[in-house]
Amino acid sequence: MAYVSMGEAHRRITECLNRFCDAVSYQDSSTLCRLLSFSSNSPSLLSLADALNVFQDASSLIRQSDKFSDYGEILAHLFRSLQSYRVGNLVEAYLAYEKFANAFVQEFRNWESAWALEALYVVCYEVRVLAEKADKELTSNGKSPEKLKAAGSLLMKVFGVLAGKGPKRVGALYVTCQLFKTYFKLGTVNLCRSVIRSIETARIFDFEEFPRRDKVTYMYYTGRLEVFNENFPAADTKLSYALKYCNPNRERNIRMILKYLIPVKLSIGMIPNDELLRNYNLHEYKKIVQALKKGDLRLLRHALQEHEDRFLRSGVYLVLEKLELQVYQRLMKKIYIIQKQSDPARAHQLKLEVIAKTLRWLEIDMDLDEVECIMTILIYKNLVKGYLAHKSKVVVLSKQDPFPKLNGKPVGS
Amino acid sequence: MNQGGNTQAIAPLDPNSIEQRYGVDGSQPQISSYQYSTGSDGTSWTANQAVENGNYSNSNYYHPQPTVSTTGNVQEIANTATSGTANVTQDYSGYTTYQAPSDPHSYSNTGYSNYYSGYQQQPSQTAPYQPAAAYQNTGATYQPISSFQNPGSYAGTASYSGTYYNPADYQTTGGYQSTNYNNQTAGGYPTTNYSNQTPASNQGNYTDYTSNPYQNYTPDASNTPSSTIATTAPVHYQQNYQQWPDYYSQTEVPCAPGTEKVSATSAYSQSFPVPGVTSEMPASNGQPAPAYAQPWRLETDSSQPPSQQPGAAVTSTSNDAYWMHQTPSVQAYYPVPPQNHYQSPVETKPVYETTFQGHQRATYPQELNPQTSIHQAPLGYRQPTQTTPSVDTQRVSKVKIPTNPRIASNLPSGFTKMEKDSSAAGATHTPAYVSVSMPKPKHHTTAMPDPGTFPKSLCGFVERAIARCKDDREKASCQAALRKIIKKADADGTLHTQDWDTEPLSTVLNTDVTDTEASSTFISSLQNKSPARRPKSRWEPLSEAKPFVKPASTFSSGVKFGGWNHQNENNKKSSEGFQKADAVTGFKPSYAGQNSAKKSFQRPVKRQRFSGGAGTAIDDEASSDSDKELTPYYSSAMALASSADEKKRRDSRSKRFEKVQGHNRGNDLHKPKNANVGNLHSRRATALRLGRDFDESGSRAVEDIDWDALTVKGTCQEIEKRYLRLTSAPDPSTVRPEDVLEKALLMVQDSQKNYLYKCDQLKSIRQDLTVQRIHNHLTAKVYETHARLALDAGDLPEYNQCLSQLKILYAEGIEGCSLEFAAYSLLYITLHSNNNRELLSSMSRLSEEAKKDEAVRHALSVRAAVTSGNYVMFFRLYKTAPNMNSCLMDLYVEKMRYKAVTFMSRSCRPTIPVSYLVQVLGFASASSEGSDEKETDGMEECSEWLKAHGASLIADDNGDMLLDTKVSSTSLFMPEPEDAVAHGDRNLDVNDFFTSSRTL
Repeated sequence: MAYVSMGEAHRRITECLNRFCDAVSYQDSSTLCRLLSFSSNSPSLLSLADALNVFQDASSLIRQSDKFSDYGEILAHLFRSLQSYRVGNLVEAYLAYEKFANAFVQEFRNWESAWALEALYVVCYEVRVLAEKADKELTSNGKSPEKLKAAGSLLMKVFGVLAGKGPKRVGALYVTCQLFKTYFKLGTVNLCRSVIRSIETARIFDFEEFPRRDKVTYMYYTGRLEVFNENFPAADTKLSYALKYCNPNRERNIRMILKYLIPVKLSIGMIPNDELLRNYNLHEYKKIVQALKKGDLRLLRHALQEHEDRFLRSGVYLVLEKLELQVYQRLMKKIYIIQKQSDPARAHQLKLEVIAKTLRWLEIDMDLDEVECIMTILIYKNLVKGYLAHKSKVVVLSKQDPFPKLNGKPVGS
Repeated sequence: MNQGGNTQAIAPLDPNSIEQRYGVDGSQPQISSYQYSTGSDGTSWTANQAVENGNYSNSNYYHPQPTVSTTGNVQEIANTATSGTANVTQDYSGYTTYQAPSDPHSYSNTGYSNYYSGYQQQPSQTAPYQPAAAYQNTGATYQPISSFQNPGSYAGTASYSGTYYNPADYQTTGGYQSTNYNNQTAGGYPTTNYSNQTPASNQGNYTDYTSNPYQNYTPDASNTPSSTIATTAPVHYQQNYQQWPDYYSQTEVPCAPGTEKVSATSAYSQSFPVPGVTSEMPASNGQPAPAYAQPWRLETDSSQPPSQQPGAAVTSTSNDAYWMHQTPSVQAYYPVPPQNHYQSPVETKPVYETTFQGHQRATYPQELNPQTSIHQAPLGYRQPTQTTPSVDTQRVSKVKIPTNPRIASNLPSGFTKMEKDSSAAGATHTPAYVSVSMPKPKHHTTAMPDPGTFPKSLCGFVERAIARCKDDREKASCQAALRKIIKKADADGTLHTQDWDTEPLSTVLNTDVTDTEASSTFISSLQNKSPARRPKSRWEPLSEAKPFVKPASTFSSGVKFGGWNHQNENNKKSSEGFQKADAVTGFKPSYAGQNSAKKSFQRPVKRQRFSGGAGTAIDDEASSDSDKELTPYYSSAMALASSADEKKRRDSRSKRFEKVQGHNRGNDLHKPKNANVGNLHSRRATALRLGRDFDESGSRAVEDIDWDALTVKGTCQEIEKRYLRLTSAPDPSTVRPEDVLEKALLMVQDSQKNYLYKCDQLKSIRQDLTVQRIHNHLTAKVYETHARLALDAGDLPEYNQCLSQLKILYAEGIEGCSLEFAAYSLLYITLHSNNNRELLSSMSRLSEEAKKDEAVRHALSVRAAVTSGNYVMFFRLYKTAPNMNSCLMDLYVEKMRYKAVTFMSRSCRPTIPVSYLVQVLGFASASSEGSDEKETDGMEECSEWLKAHGASLIADDNGDMLLDTKVSSTSLFMPEPEDAVAHGDRNLDVNDFFTSSRTL
């Protein structure tokens, strides 16, 4: 840490105070943002932090002038947070920042116009990010991480401030998205429901009115929620929206969306081309797509096993697992086609024996009962048209379109 | 003893304060010496006076201390010989030790000495002054403080407070006190000691004074007489002594607070005449002041002294304490405040004696704290002065005048300025004090016209109320109630108008301890009342560092004593929280201490209830024994001490506060009386209160709650115990210790009785484990056992409770059958909660090792079968399930079968033989618990099941049953479970309940 003289420190702090007050009085949101955004690690903030660590009695400076002391609470907490942040004490930094945020929101509530929305965004973002860092620090110290939870309730409070009539309501979706991020991280996804409800049902919100950025983020998260619920059509809609409107230059974001959109599309029978997977480095889906195309059950199972952790963590494992039925369908179709080539007359009769033999070739050991069970399910789910003659152990396929395509509808519908 | 302990504890905390005190003490002693000197030796006094001026503040500080001692003395007096002596002895012990260091005067030893010491303390202080000048003096001053503390300890609450809040102060004070005591004691007992003191001319005089107040005093006086004043003083002293004895005999009550005050005032006035000396006297000894006052008076006006003396004597103890307080304030304030204090002391004395004990118990902590704080503050101030005093003892004479004025003002004599503050101060002072403190009633403080004084009728009322109390507990609560009533009356302005003679006692006797807080506030208010202090909170005074302020603080401290507080309130009326005052004094430690003191306050009350309080005994004519008990921790001790079982815990717990409360331990030990029953509750209450207080103080977090103190150690040896949901704190006598619980678990496992019995037993085991906070393998075993039994019985709610506990236990690293239960958990989520996210997260948490476990693998396979709807696989897994996995699957069998039949009806044509279904759907395994019918024959069962679900069965040529799939596909339905109950929990079925209760 570079040495800072007392006078220099004093000058820097005073300058910062002046800038803050000017920003507020001129409603200069961008200047305000710069003062609040710790994670930007901007040189001016860092030098201010150094100055604060040298000049310990910043609060007296704040008190000196009426101009500053109007925002005394805000500034004092902000400075304390910055100090702690600078010296790496993230828990302290978070605690002070939380207090600052509370004071800031209180002040924000009093501002008629929404000029400070951007600054509020920064505050919300910083609260969440600081909380995550603080939790990391707590965890490494063997303590229970709880700051993110606290940040969640703080953000919920902010949401309450914004969710009303007036110009500030357009900020609600940003806070909602920060809440989503918090809840997904915490694993308390069910808490999202109340926020979603108010966004989607409250008349004060016109969804198209929100900034596009927030809309995309919102759709991404709600799409993921639909994936959890295995509501594939809805998930498809939302994730497709996100993909369509997201910034095309943000590859990482696109990849994140595709990670969920691909399984959803697969579930409704749509297969991505290899180029897409290659372009966005989604190779973990490559084998699955291949298995679907070939009807290779073994390949699917291997692919699932190979990336089990990743799929479990992202939450698409169960979705991908359900693709098995489609792979069976593909396999049956293959058998059917082969039989058709050799004996067109009896091609529509699939003997369970044959199916079991085929599976054995794929190194999957199943007895007839199990094969019959699978076929029952396939027929029941309408992946195969026909019936199963139990007595003769034969699947009798319909002569018309025995293997109907999904065409965008989920299995079993 | 306790004091010593306190002093130790305090010492670390407030070295500064101590030092200050020392300095102060020195000054105080000087003051006292001054006083003495004034009384005894004009010359020395004069010199002292000069010092005093410097010291005044010191003296004030001293006063607080002295007051403490006096209070102790007062209490003792109140107790009369027994309690008084006991207290005294304690004080002495502490003092003696101190004394020994400070001054050879070893009056210390006897109880008298204590009282005297209290009184004498000032003298002794003076004596110390002479010899050791500042240090000794300081000791003396400290002694006063200590004496206060001691009183507090006596009061019990005081002890608590002492331990918690003031410990440090106390200790220091104790040390000081001890010195004082020594001096005093020396003075009192050992006239010789006094004489010893006397050796130092001024000191000697002082000592003489001190001694004079006491019996010793007279001798001392004789000794000291050497000095002009001294000579006169001696006489006075003698008189005083005589009076004292009288007082003693009379007990505190006899002393008319007013008279005492008057005497004090007169003494002061006298002293004033002797300017330096007198002033010193008062200042130096708030406590001594009374005695001194008498002596002084004697000197100045023999006539006054006597009359006053009696009162003084009586009050002297209390007065001393008060005086001490007052004096500090006086000295610092010299003006009125001190006077007030003085007065209050006098008056309070009675109160103290009676109520005090009770109050002290409750309030002492607070009071003590204030005192300590005060002391500290004063000390700081005083220190300078003190040093000067010692140096300036000779100077004092000059200084004396100024001081004297202050003192005088305080004192009736005339330093009007001072008096102004105390306006009532002189005469009123005492009254005020008296009035405030319960003592008045007892003591007849009414004599004084002061506003503060209580009407005689009120005194009578109080006496009657106290007399009705059967035991200490009652007394304590009664005192609290009285305090409340008087406070209220005072607030209403009906104190003097109300007809106390006809006031029903029921109000008092029925009320509970709840008043403690009020009393504390009272005190605080009283403290605040001091004019000087009013504007500034006590805290402020501390910060201010002005001697005056300090005195104020001391005042408050003095006030803190329950009785004192009241008195002070009356006098001062401006009230601030004791705590605040304490805070003002600036000891943060003391803060905590104060808080604790508050707590202790509360406790005391409760304890009193439980233990029949030693404190109450103190109040009236409690035996000296009770006083002893009371002295240190009294109330706390009461509560804690009771059962031997808990002693250990208490000890360990008290260790936490040792710093604060040095004294308490002793008390604890004293208190075998406490009922065992009360202990647990009181302990819990204490811990909770502590927690609360910590919260209040803001510096402590919830984590600081002493959960150990809330934990029960079971003593029950019964193996079998029915479960009853706790509605109150657990009683150790009904809680089984760990080894018994182990046996109980074995008993349950081997039991042939039904699940409901076992469930009941296991729940009681779990409860006992919980209240004893046992978290180990046994706990895990109990929960595992219960979870398995619950699974076996299909009791999912109970199973879930157990599983959630097991998760916590496993997370703590306790070895158990974690993999087995991981499998259960997986199955449960898969089959019953149907929450994909939960399933995903629990799957992702599985370690590689876990995935190799048979049970876990089985569970994962089941999950796969269920998600894909593979009924064939499911029922195969069902038949090969390890552990209790099948029990969980049982609950899904019905659904799976239905699903399977639905699939087949839809997919298969034209028919499916039932025999195949029997095989595939697990009916053949015989005896699955899945269906409620008897499964002697799988076919039979399967047919029944199919029919129950609306399937259409036909017979083929061979007579085999076939499922007509086409018909069935549209007719299948899920029947309402036959055993369904409206509330959804079959186990809660009323018939079941009756059966179970019968079997139990």
